Amino acid sequence: MSVETEQSIAITRLPAGLGGLLPALTLIGLFFVVPVLALLLRSVTDPAPGLQNYAALLGDGTYARVFFNTFLVAFVVTVVTVLVAFPVAWMLAIMPPALASILFGIIILSMWTNLLTRTYAWMVLLQRTGVINRALMAIGIIDQPLPLINNLTGVTIGMVYIMLPFMILPLVGTLRAIDPMTLRAAALCGASPLAAFRRILLPLSLPGIAAGGLMVFVMSLGYFVTPALLGGTSNMMLAEMIAQMIQSLLNWGLGSAAAFILLVVTMALYALQLRLVGSKRAAGGA
Amino acid sequence: MLLDYDRLGWLKVVLLTFTACVAAFLLLPVVFIVLLSFGSSRWLAFPPPGWTLKWYQELFADPSWIEAALTSARIATMTAVLAVVIGLLASFALVRGQFRGREILRGLLLTPMVLPVVVFAIAIYAFFLRLGLGGTTGGFVIAHTVLALPFAIIPIATALEGFDKSIEDAAIVCGASPLQAKLRITLPWIRIGIFSAAIFSFLASWDEVVVAIFMASPTLQTLPVKIWGSLRSDLTPVIAAASSLLVGLTLALMVATALLRRKLQT
Repeated sequence: MSVETEQSIAITRLPAGLGGLLPALTLIGLFFVVPVLALLLRSVTDPAPGLQNYAALLGDGTYARVFFNTFLVAFVVTVVTVLVAFPVAWMLAIMPPALASILFGIIILSMWTNLLTRTYAWMVLLQRTGVINRALMAIGIIDQPLPLINNLTGVTIGMVYIMLPFMILPLVGTLRAIDPMTLRAAALCGASPLAAFRRILLPLSLPGIAAGGLMVFVMSLGYFVTPALLGGTSNMMLAEMIAQMIQSLLNWGLGSAAAFILLVVTMALYALQLRLVGSKRAAGGA
Repeated sequence: MLLDYDRLGWLKVVLLTFTACVAAFLLLPVVFIVLLSFGSSRWLAFPPPGWTLKWYQELFADPSWIEAALTSARIATMTAVLAVVIGLLASFALVRGQFRGREILRGLLLTPMVLPVVVFAIAIYAFFLRLGLGGTTGGFVIAHTVLALPFAIIPIATALEGFDKSIEDAAIVCGASPLQAKLRITLPWIRIGIFSAAIFSFLASWDEVVVAIFMASPTLQTLPVKIWGSLRSDLTPVIAAASSLLVGLTLALMVATALLRRKLQT
């Protein structure tokens, strides 16, 4: 049997439809899986085989601070995002269609606007002499400019701004799926609005809050641009540290090891999210 | 009651006020940057002492901005075409294929969306250094297509799931070849999905910063890299002018999308 017919038999034996996946799998395999695996390999071989890179990362107080700070920022951003997003999603789910489409337009516009543009705007807005400080001083709330940038406050404002749409939009879906009759029933049974909120609305929207919150947390952990521009040197986050190790220090071993830790944490949280909501919704599909 | 807009009572006032504040918060940087680009103060004072077009003149007088924008547009267009074609083939397989491990493969193809982009950036940077693809248009397009693929697959696969395959089968029974049936029946049917995929892939590449920062060379840099460089050196109002043009582009894309969707749906 010639090589050619063997090949054609192999192709016809492919399960129905699998052939269409070949270009995508080639692309992802060759230019995603292989480079990432090569990087991880580098973390245990560069400069010499062994786990010294991980030992250095986990043993050094400076790096420990970066890890702690990364989790702190991601946590604060997630909590603030959830608190701000919930009432907005609630209103979006029930407000008249005309009003809702205006609000959707604003959310999509902010989401689609270039990331650097939005971060740049916050850099200018939050400066010592920026609009926000001046406005607060003009009203007389403060008499010294507040330090709003190059610190946790700056990163939080910028990141919450970026993450809000990712929390609001999925949450609207969850809230719309709740049957209003359950709340009317609660009212008929004598529940006060507060009790109905606490015992019915909140528990029923909890899966959406958990899924969206987890997504915001995961995205925040690995974020680079906004924390690098709005944060200070004393509260550097992991992604920026990795970039620095590679770009300016050319320390591939340490950089790869830090990247591997970020990857493992992210993937573990993503797996948790998959279990929570199922693969399609976790990936943002409808 | 709580989910009944007309019966919320006083709570409605509180919630609507809060929502309006958040909407203003979301609009603030976008509006601010556009106003700032017309302000005459080099120090980005607001409100500006006067209005001017000089930052736009400076922007258009500098060939490196134009070149960066053209590079970005070229790379994003190629990325969108590639991601839609590959994503289309993959979506058919994912939605219609009957094979084991389908969910795992779907997860694998969507992973670039959840993996922190900085990890992918340094991985592909190292990889391309060895292959000699660093700082090339081809390298940019490949890396951006990897990142854009999930954004192409999700809308196309969603549209395909909503398509009744028996219509395609009917065309085949009536004498169309399987390919003809797909091209003339199925593709027009899922065009909104394909259209969304193209827009999302284009934007994924056009807005991408992190991979581009690592991969850019002195001779080849995208617009985000150019902006990034300017942001780190000085906050010149020229960035505001460039950013305002980007806001304009975003608005144009949104309006075009809305109009086209309406046209396609009727």
